Amino acid sequence: MTSIDVQDLTKEYGTRRAVDHLTFRVEPGRVTGFLGPNGAGKSTTMRLVLGLDRPTSGTATVGGRAYVTLHEPLRHVGALLDARAAHGSRTARDHLRVLAASNRIPNRRVDEVLEETGLASVARRRTKTYSLGMRQRLGIAAALLGNPEVVMLDEPSNGLDPEGIIWIRELLRRLAGEGRTVLVSSHLMNETASFADHLVVLGRGRLLADTPMREFIHARVEPRVRIRTTDATALKTALARHGHDAVEHEDGHWTVHHARVDDIGRLISQAGVPVLELAAEEGTLEQAYLDLTATETEFTARPLEV
Amino acid sequence: MSFVPVLHTEWLKIRTLRSLPGALLALFAVTTAFSAVAGASEDSDPEFDPLSMALSGVLPGQIAAISFGAMAVSSEYHGGALRLSLAAVPQRGRWFAAKVTAIAVPTLLVGLVTAFTALVAGRAGLGSAASGLTAAEQVRGVVGCAIYLMLMALFAAGLTALLRSGVATLSVLIPFILVVSFVIGDAAGTVADFLPDRAGQMVIHRTYDGTLGPWSGLMVTALWTAVALLAGAWSVRRRDA
Repeated sequence: MTSIDVQDLTKEYGTRRAVDHLTFRVEPGRVTGFLGPNGAGKSTTMRLVLGLDRPTSGTATVGGRAYVTLHEPLRHVGALLDARAAHGSRTARDHLRVLAASNRIPNRRVDEVLEETGLASVARRRTKTYSLGMRQRLGIAAALLGNPEVVMLDEPSNGLDPEGIIWIRELLRRLAGEGRTVLVSSHLMNETASFADHLVVLGRGRLLADTPMREFIHARVEPRVRIRTTDATALKTALARHGHDAVEHEDGHWTVHHARVDDIGRLISQAGVPVLELAAEEGTLEQAYLDLTATETEFTARPLEV
Repeated sequence: MSFVPVLHTEWLKIRTLRSLPGALLALFAVTTAFSAVAGASEDSDPEFDPLSMALSGVLPGQIAAISFGAMAVSSEYHGGALRLSLAAVPQRGRWFAAKVTAIAVPTLLVGLVTAFTALVAGRAGLGSAASGLTAAEQVRGVVGCAIYLMLMALFAAGLTALLRSGVATLSVLIPFILVVSFVIGDAAGTVADFLPDRAGQMVIHRTYDGTLGPWSGLMVTALWTAVALLAGAWSVRRRDA
């Protein structure tokens, strides 16, 4: 079991505190979405985990060990920090061969990850000819090179085309399914909602939430039910009798706030209201996230425990 | 992590960038060409030194060696390349030692071939004027010249790691070598003799009357290089990547 453990981590650059007494754990076997506005400290936290920056105080470990003490670290942790890291004058294959050699990873593996990331046909082209999406795929190939148990990706869907976005989603689900620890930062809410099981949310370097994604949304977004009927009067009467309030929209459908579809469905069926359409309106991660950041000050006052 | 795979990686990095082998090729071409021209064009004058004349191509040629050292390190300071390198090899001291070795060995080997070829080319032009050179003097000139080129490449490498920029390093070193050293070098005071390039260049002179001899001069350059490399290593180890 290899988890990422961040303990009371603080990093100051001059007087600016980029990471502020951060404590959380990223568990294996699930995709953890790492959310927060730009400058919230997501990238800094990843660099601290990789031992690239030195913490002002606190610790970050992978599988209980500091990253710098890992023997052949690429075989344990794979990271994508910056898609521009590959030298433009090197071919993609050479870029990966160079990385692989230091950790004694065979060249066979280089060809495997090139295949896996869809770069095999362009592997002998210099990376300055690559689009941002292709560089992003190369960065992901580098992260997967050592077949690591822990994968950390900073904004991996940047610049990817729609097919690429579906590909990364399936890749992340598969990696987690294989029992790996997957931490993925993003500022795209719908994208994160499509692959994350768990969320760690930062704001100004502090932990705002560390919770399963479903719970995060349910706790912050009111459930609603959408109904279409041919008999509006009967619907309103039935709902009013149980203390529910329905709002009619221009296209003729109704929304019941603060209600669950199980209750409403049973209720209007008993009242004999003709139903054309009945659906739960799920809250989105975006709504929940905006709700959280709107109440950030209040929220940070009482740290959320899992 | 052992040193050999790390060195392998650093050597691959140099081999897989065209500009770096290109700089070593330029070192050979420029040095040999200038030596051949100098050998063919020189009239005899009272202070004529056939050894330094035949190897004089190294004065422009060293720019290529300096560029090689600077570029091999500066490629790490673009777009987060250093982070990727240090994520693969977190032992920073070992990483920097491998980088330095991967710069030193090729420069030394190319330097040996270059100095030997330049000497042959220069002597071809000088003809009988160079016939008085002893074998020992010529061996010292060629070997010393190669060591000098290696030290200058490493000096640039150390400075680049300290300044974290190849452009900054080259814009300090190249004007320094082209201008400062020539200008104050002719007014050969004792201090000017101890500048990193002036001191090391004693090794290609047949005769010397200053404070420094050929090997002590090279030692002074080696000290400058050691300081630059230590400063570079300090920067790599201490600073956030």
